[in-house]
Amino acid sequence: MSEILYLLVIPFVTGVIAIFLPKKIRPAIETVGILGSVGSLAYVTYVYVNLVSYTSSWWRIDGLSRFILLFCGVFGFLIALYSLKFMRRFDRLNEYYGYLLFTIGASFGAVLANNMILLVGFWGFLAFTLFMLITIGGPDRTGVSEAAKKTLIIVGGSDCLMILGIAILWLLTNSLRMDSMNVSVATSRLAAVAFVLLAVTSFAKAGAIPMHTWIPDCAEFAPIPVTAFLPASVDKLLGIYLLTRLVTDIFALNTAMKIFLLAVGAFTVLAAVMMALIQHDAKRLLAYHAVSQVGYMVLGIGTCNPIGIAGGLFHMLNNAIYKGCLFLTAGGVEHRTGTTHLDRLGGLAHYMPITFVSFIVAALAISGVPPLNGFTSKWLVYQGLIMLGNEGGKLWIIWLVAAMFGSALTLASFMKLGHAIFLGQTPDYEKAIGHKVREVHWSMWLPMVVLAGLCLAFGIFAFRLPLAKLIYPAVGKVFVPGFWQPTLATILILVGIVVGFIIYLMGRVKIREDSLPFIGGEVLPEEVRVTGTDFYNTIREMSILRTIYSKAEQKLFDIYELGKRAFLFLARGVSYAHVGVLTSYVAWIFLGLMAILFVVVRLR
Amino acid sequence: MIHYLLGILLFVIGLYGVLVKRNLFKIIIGLIIMEYATFLLFALVGFREHGTAPIQPGVAGKVFVDPLPQALVLTAIVIGLGTTALIAGLAVRIYEKYGTLDIRKIKKLKG
Amino acid sequence: MVNSIPLFVVIPLGCAFILPVIGRRWERAGDLFANLVTVTLLGLAIWSVRFIRETTVYHVGGWGAVNGIPIGIYLVRDGLSIFMLVVVNLIAFVATLYSINYMEYFTDKTKYYTLFMLMLAGMNGVILTGDFFNLYVFIEIAAIASYALVAFGTEAEELEAAFKYQVMGSVGSGFILLGIILLYSYTGTLNMADVGRVILDKGASNLVWFVNVLFIVGFGLKAAVVPFHMWLPDAHPSAPAPISAMLSGVLIESIGVYPLTRIMYNVIGFDGVLSNILIVLAIISMMIGGLLALWQWDYKRLLAYSSISQVGYILLGIGLGTPLGLLGALFHLFNHSAFKGLLFLDSGSIVYSVGTRDLREMGELDRRMPITSKTNLVAAMSIAGVPPFNGFWSKLIIIIACIQAGRYGVAGWAILGSILTFAYILKAERYAFYGKAGRDVADVKESPPFMCIALIILAVICVVAGLMLLPNVRETILFPVVNTLTSGTEYIWRVLR
Repeated sequence: MSEILYLLVIPFVTGVIAIFLPKKIRPAIETVGILGSVGSLAYVTYVYVNLVSYTSSWWRIDGLSRFILLFCGVFGFLIALYSLKFMRRFDRLNEYYGYLLFTIGASFGAVLANNMILLVGFWGFLAFTLFMLITIGGPDRTGVSEAAKKTLIIVGGSDCLMILGIAILWLLTNSLRMDSMNVSVATSRLAAVAFVLLAVTSFAKAGAIPMHTWIPDCAEFAPIPVTAFLPASVDKLLGIYLLTRLVTDIFALNTAMKIFLLAVGAFTVLAAVMMALIQHDAKRLLAYHAVSQVGYMVLGIGTCNPIGIAGGLFHMLNNAIYKGCLFLTAGGVEHRTGTTHLDRLGGLAHYMPITFVSFIVAALAISGVPPLNGFTSKWLVYQGLIMLGNEGGKLWIIWLVAAMFGSALTLASFMKLGHAIFLGQTPDYEKAIGHKVREVHWSMWLPMVVLAGLCLAFGIFAFRLPLAKLIYPAVGKVFVPGFWQPTLATILILVGIVVGFIIYLMGRVKIREDSLPFIGGEVLPEEVRVTGTDFYNTIREMSILRTIYSKAEQKLFDIYELGKRAFLFLARGVSYAHVGVLTSYVAWIFLGLMAILFVVVRLR
Repeated sequence: MIHYLLGILLFVIGLYGVLVKRNLFKIIIGLIIMEYATFLLFALVGFREHGTAPIQPGVAGKVFVDPLPQALVLTAIVIGLGTTALIAGLAVRIYEKYGTLDIRKIKKLKG
Repeated sequence: MVNSIPLFVVIPLGCAFILPVIGRRWERAGDLFANLVTVTLLGLAIWSVRFIRETTVYHVGGWGAVNGIPIGIYLVRDGLSIFMLVVVNLIAFVATLYSINYMEYFTDKTKYYTLFMLMLAGMNGVILTGDFFNLYVFIEIAAIASYALVAFGTEAEELEAAFKYQVMGSVGSGFILLGIILLYSYTGTLNMADVGRVILDKGASNLVWFVNVLFIVGFGLKAAVVPFHMWLPDAHPSAPAPISAMLSGVLIESIGVYPLTRIMYNVIGFDGVLSNILIVLAIISMMIGGLLALWQWDYKRLLAYSSISQVGYILLGIGLGTPLGLLGALFHLFNHSAFKGLLFLDSGSIVYSVGTRDLREMGELDRRMPITSKTNLVAAMSIAGVPPFNGFWSKLIIIIACIQAGRYGVAGWAILGSILTFAYILKAERYAFYGKAGRDVADVKESPPFMCIALIILAVICVVAGLMLLPNVRETILFPVVNTLTSGTEYIWRVLR
């Protein structure tokens, strides 16, 4: 019990200290921030090692919450470390570290909570800290404040749905303890409603369609460490944690609900990756991938069989790792060049090698290239879907094809991203920003390298390390059909690389040749630089997709925009009724009186 | 019964003033008529057929009118005076600012 | 300590009479006396919390009951009145503190404080009285003072708002008086408890139902329930900021929601038809108020519409009639006073420093006015219902109460209203504090010290008020208050005993 309290006390107390420190004393704020996150990480590791399972009416630790807890701590620490340099030029540093620590604490709380009121409390508080962290954002105040507003409306509004879901659960089970619930969706429509409400809440947090629309805006305008921390990693952990709890512990799903989850997952994978293909801003592009990857997790968990759930959870973990890493590399690029707009970037591999290598590893991981971690988890998800087919469903082939197709498109869009930022032609940075581009400070590259290393480690030793230590304790030992032996595969790949290198050395082939582009004898001016994004404009021009894209860019598929338009339309109508003339107001009063009288006469 | 009906008729006349008239002062007068109709109703509630003033206590067999409404109506009239003074003052100031007494033109606040 | 009961009315009323006399010579007298009065009253109210389980009756002038029939005016202090007293006097205290600096803006501070004290006396009287006619008198005192306060700036809009407010307010008072008269003709008494006793004996006839409707309209008008709300968005923004805070924070609750609740529950008796009517009115208020708030660009007008919406929440809880619903409603009433008072005071600070109420002209104030922006953030998060701020807990309780009562559709409306709340309050946050400045705000400064202190007090309350729901605390503070309502017409016997 006391362990859990300390777990919450450390980040919250340091957070309060950081927030109340004067803005001017930056070193002190940074020290508190780092100390708080290190303390949290250290203590959460201690708890992870020593407290395998614990249940009370308020708190609960089990296999599932343990490893999510641990990774919340890890990401908190890495982001705090990364922020040291990155956030230097931002104002309101005290609030930044304060809310960062609050976020760590609240995510611990949300994962630990066994009481649903406690859960919704921490859950809602996370929406608030996210809002505050976004408002710290960059120079474009209009964009920042609009993104922050949109985020809190979607995420906070979904918390209201969560309250409703919890209230229904309470009505059905007469209990608020998550461990004692087992509601069958098939028994009553209310239970189904509660499930959908809570699932939508988890979608909003994790960012599955249709509740995803805050993520791209948030990513574009929030400081990058914030994006890397919340929408990319911790929010994914929490959203999928809740979904897993719902599917495995609280509810027993029927086929319709499973299909609901699978359809959301499949649609998320495809639609988001299609949107990612046409983005011109690295942060927005990554954000759409952050949405797209949620689809795999939802697909995995929606299968409701152990292997699918294991795959979904593993993918959640992997996604948090590589997506965090990708955002951090994008942050490094922005830190050095001042932009993440793809048209203005290129050729950075030469200047920022460590960032580039981390990027490549993470990008390959997200694209599902073996032997990296993304491959293993996607593979488990596919196995789960195939298993679904063995159980007798007919629709599984659709989900499987969607997932695989999405994977291919992911690879395509990361080719574009890598090419546009790190390869391709180099624009004149010195002219644009006034100084030379160089590698970022160690405190910024270290988190990237750690995460990239985790991508490798979790891929190569997938079954021995993460699955055995983290996932199986959560969902039970899973029998994995087929064979994929990542360690062996890695060895083979390494052997292949070594052989190739030897051949390269032996052959001494002249593989590189610098030559100017030949354009009819003209010198290529800077303006006609071919950027990576241009290649992908053809996708936008395809006939059917063109209309869909143009609608999407008018935000016709954005639930927030739709709601906003509907509400404003109604508001305009009601507003016209308030004409400002006293006489009509008095008439309203009498009409109201008559109406109530009429109702009373009719009802009695 | 007829008293009550007349009271209610008076109330409706006042209501007509508030709802239909455009002039601020006519609206105020309508309001006052409504107020006084309620006061009248209140006084009538205390009315007893053939009742006398409730001055001699302890006399058996004699019908008194109910004294309580009378006392209260006096209080209410005083309150009504206060509100009337205030609203008339407001109307004068509005005329100074807007240059009109037409309620339909006094609509800066709307929506 | 029965004698402390009339002090709640006597002290502010006395102050209201003394102030004009000494205020002529001594400019600062108003600041000093008004603050002393509100501090005293707040202290007295908090001290009274120890009697929260008891019902104490004070006989004005020593006129007790003769043969079991009450002949004098009763002041009744029970759980609900004490709760309301704390709320009202708390906000009054903060508002007077805030006025010290803010009212420098206006010319005649002494008159302002006089009217303020009158209004306070009226509200405290409404809360304490156990007599129908007295109720009407106190409502009128509070209302007349508020009409004058709305017009205090004497600009065109303020006068217009005050005029409309007064015409509609008078219509509402007329309905209330008519209802009281009809009740008197039916029961032959004006003492609330006695009226309740007679209705219990004789049964609720059609006349009583007509009275019910009149009260719903009359008090609904005072509480700005849609469709009787049109005066509020004009009147509340036009008043000086501390008065806006008083009007939206406590006046609509103490002379609108409170008497309605008291009469419905303790005197006439609550039933299913009333419950349905209140719930429907509440839902309409929630939605219309929220939608109109979303449409506004005037910050104070936006807040005024949001008051309509929030009163809808309170009425929803009251209309449900279950203990949980009442708990939520009363707690939300307290919370609404705190955060709406704070929001209006913040808007006042912005008007004081920036000189505009138009959201499009504000912006970047989070750097220029740190205290205002932080406190406004707290209030905005409270009203939106973000944990751990107080509004979250009351929203949670009300929604759970809807589900518990089996009214799933109502819960859905409450959720929709809550999302609307998010939308409009974040719009204000975004434009006023975080967005790009619409005008030059480089030389905008934080407001003077007393204003900041007032803001901080309310912000702290918004943060910690959720603690009132902790076990033991809720049993000592909130449950007795709910009990006074759930015990229904037992009120009669507690008073007449």
